[in-house]
Amino acid sequence: MEKLKVLHVDIGSCEGCNVSILRALPKIQEFVDLDMKYLAKKTCARDKYDMVIITGGVCMNEPHIIEKVKSLREKTSTIVAFGSCATFGGILRFCRGGQEPRPDHRNFQPINSVVKVDYSIPGCPPTPQMVQSFFKFFVAGDKKRLKLFKVYADIKKLSGFDLIDDIVLTGLCIGCGACELSCPTQAIEMIDRRPNLIAEKCIRCGTCYVRCPRASQMLSMGGRK
Amino acid sequence: MIGLASDNLLGTVFGVYLARAKDEEIRRRKVASGGAVTALLTYALEKGIVDGVVAAKRTKGLEGQAVVAHNKKELLEAAGNKWSIVPFATRMKAKIEEENLKKVALVCLPCQAQFFAQMRDFPLLESDFGERIKYIVSLFCMGTFAFNAFLNYLRMKYNIKAEQIRDIHLKKDFLEIVYNGTKLDLPIEEVYSYLQTGCLVCTDYTGIWSDISAGFVESEPGWTVLMARNPKAEELIKSAEKEGYLELKEGSHVVGEILKKAREKLARAQQNMSYLL
Ligand SMILES: Cc1cc2nc3c(=O)[nH]c(=O)nc-3n(C[C@H](O)[C@H](O)[C@H](O)COP(=O)(O)OP(=O)(O)OC[C@H]3O[C@@H](n4cnc5c(N)ncnc54)[C@H](O)[C@@H]3O)c2cc1C
Ligand code: SF4
Ligand code: SF4
Ligand code: SF4
Ligand code: SF4
Repeated sequence: MEKLKVLHVDIGSCEGCNVSILRALPKIQEFVDLDMKYLAKKTCARDKYDMVIITGGVCMNEPHIIEKVKSLREKTSTIVAFGSCATFGGILRFCRGGQEPRPDHRNFQPINSVVKVDYSIPGCPPTPQMVQSFFKFFVAGDKKRLKLFKVYADIKKLSGFDLIDDIVLTGLCIGCGACELSCPTQAIEMIDRRPNLIAEKCIRCGTCYVRCPRASQMLSMGGRK
Repeated sequence: MIGLASDNLLGTVFGVYLARAKDEEIRRRKVASGGAVTALLTYALEKGIVDGVVAAKRTKGLEGQAVVAHNKKELLEAAGNKWSIVPFATRMKAKIEEENLKKVALVCLPCQAQFFAQMRDFPLLESDFGERIKYIVSLFCMGTFAFNAFLNYLRMKYNIKAEQIRDIHLKKDFLEIVYNGTKLDLPIEEVYSYLQTGCLVCTDYTGIWSDISAGFVESEPGWTVLMARNPKAEELIKSAEKEGYLELKEGSHVVGEILKKAREKLARAQQNMSYLL
């Protein structure tokens, strides 16, 4: 079988997501031909790729980044936004400019604010095993398992605030505790069988929402966010 | 508005069986239906296929707590239904890590099965423990109670106090409340509004994300329906029969009955969503 030709492009991540992809490399090399700057390859060498993975959010104050993302869309039929910054804006949403070395960077948005994204993989960062699973199911064409990642691709913002608004305040929470377990910053605490959000701790990664069975069931059944 | 697809309601089904525990001791216990879940997991534990089973044990009153069972005795203590959602997640992780369990089977409800299966398939977090989960067994589910509200209703309407209640059984379409040596049959319709609101919009009856789903059908009392969703699950069920733990019958004739219930649950969810969301 021919290997999947994949290009990785970083448009301003903290490197956490990139390291995750690198760590997965030994396990995916068998079926993925990855073009990545860390691998001392000439990246972007091809005209067309089977898939382009983007890490980091789009700085809206950098026109050349916006152009670059748009040009990547031309190169492939499948864009994957990898990591919470790329999918939902993540922690980059807190950026308000005025910081060295680039005080002019004031506003970051997820990739799908600029171009259509095909799959979004949230997580800050998603684990190397996640990269492995994703490719495994992608190569196998397992639509059922990839469905949620397709659904997330159309969502621009997802966080603990949305979880509280959409699931808890609507009374739909069943008190399973999955969100508490899934929050990487312990921003969620179960109180009287319902999650409570400690707002300052939430880095807007969206993991809790994605892991909430009530929310993910509704989304995978065709619900809209 | 949420529109729901009605296809593929039962998920992937590899094989359907009617099963019950061979062991008299298991059947004598207050198992939920045929005791097949307890028997199957006893087999897995005793043969070393898993090193722990996470199940729900009744604590005070009628609610449950997540426990890890290591042998038949501990599994028996956790047999039977608990009518509330057991907030597993956090406690379970601590338990599994504390005891360094590597091959766990867990019994849960469809919503929890979805969470654990997604964690296993897609480990988003370094702290995930999906690779330690070997079997996910989901019970069929029509909903869990908002417990305080339900108990208050029983007290106000029927003058039954929480501490008098011995047990609650799900029969055909009513709940049998066993208290003070007598019984009260409550039609399910009557208690619907005491189910958790989230359950009223839940679309999964059997637990489509599980490895094995377990429930019962009216036409085969005393038996547990087991649905294997992959070859690995099928093999576990078959070998539990071979080793004398399970009594097994072919069960494809009850799929229609299960599907009917699943459709009812979906219809309920669609109706409720239309005015809740
Ligand atoms: C809230 C609830 C609603 C249900 N609704 C339906 C229904 O509508 N239709 C249907 O066919 N079946 C339903 N069931 C499942 C059914 O009642 C039996 O549990 C199933 O048939 C298995 O029977 P068994 O005798 O083989 O189980 P047993 O051998 O008694 O084993 C049951 C196992 O499930 C575990 N368990 C019990 N309650 C919980 C809980 N709340 N959370 C996690 N684990 C638990 C126990 O610890 C035990 O290990 C429901 C179960 C529950 C808990
Ligand atoms: S998602 Fe997290 S790990 Fe990835 S780039 Fe953003 S901050 Fe870094
Ligand atoms: S509450 Fe936690 S898991 Fe949810 S978005 Fe915030 S940081 Fe992420
Ligand atoms: S994961 Fe969802 S349903 Fe479960 S406790 Fe959190 S908000 Fe409630
Ligand atoms: S009805 Fe659905 S949400 Fe409620 S306990 Fe059962 S599986 Fe979970």
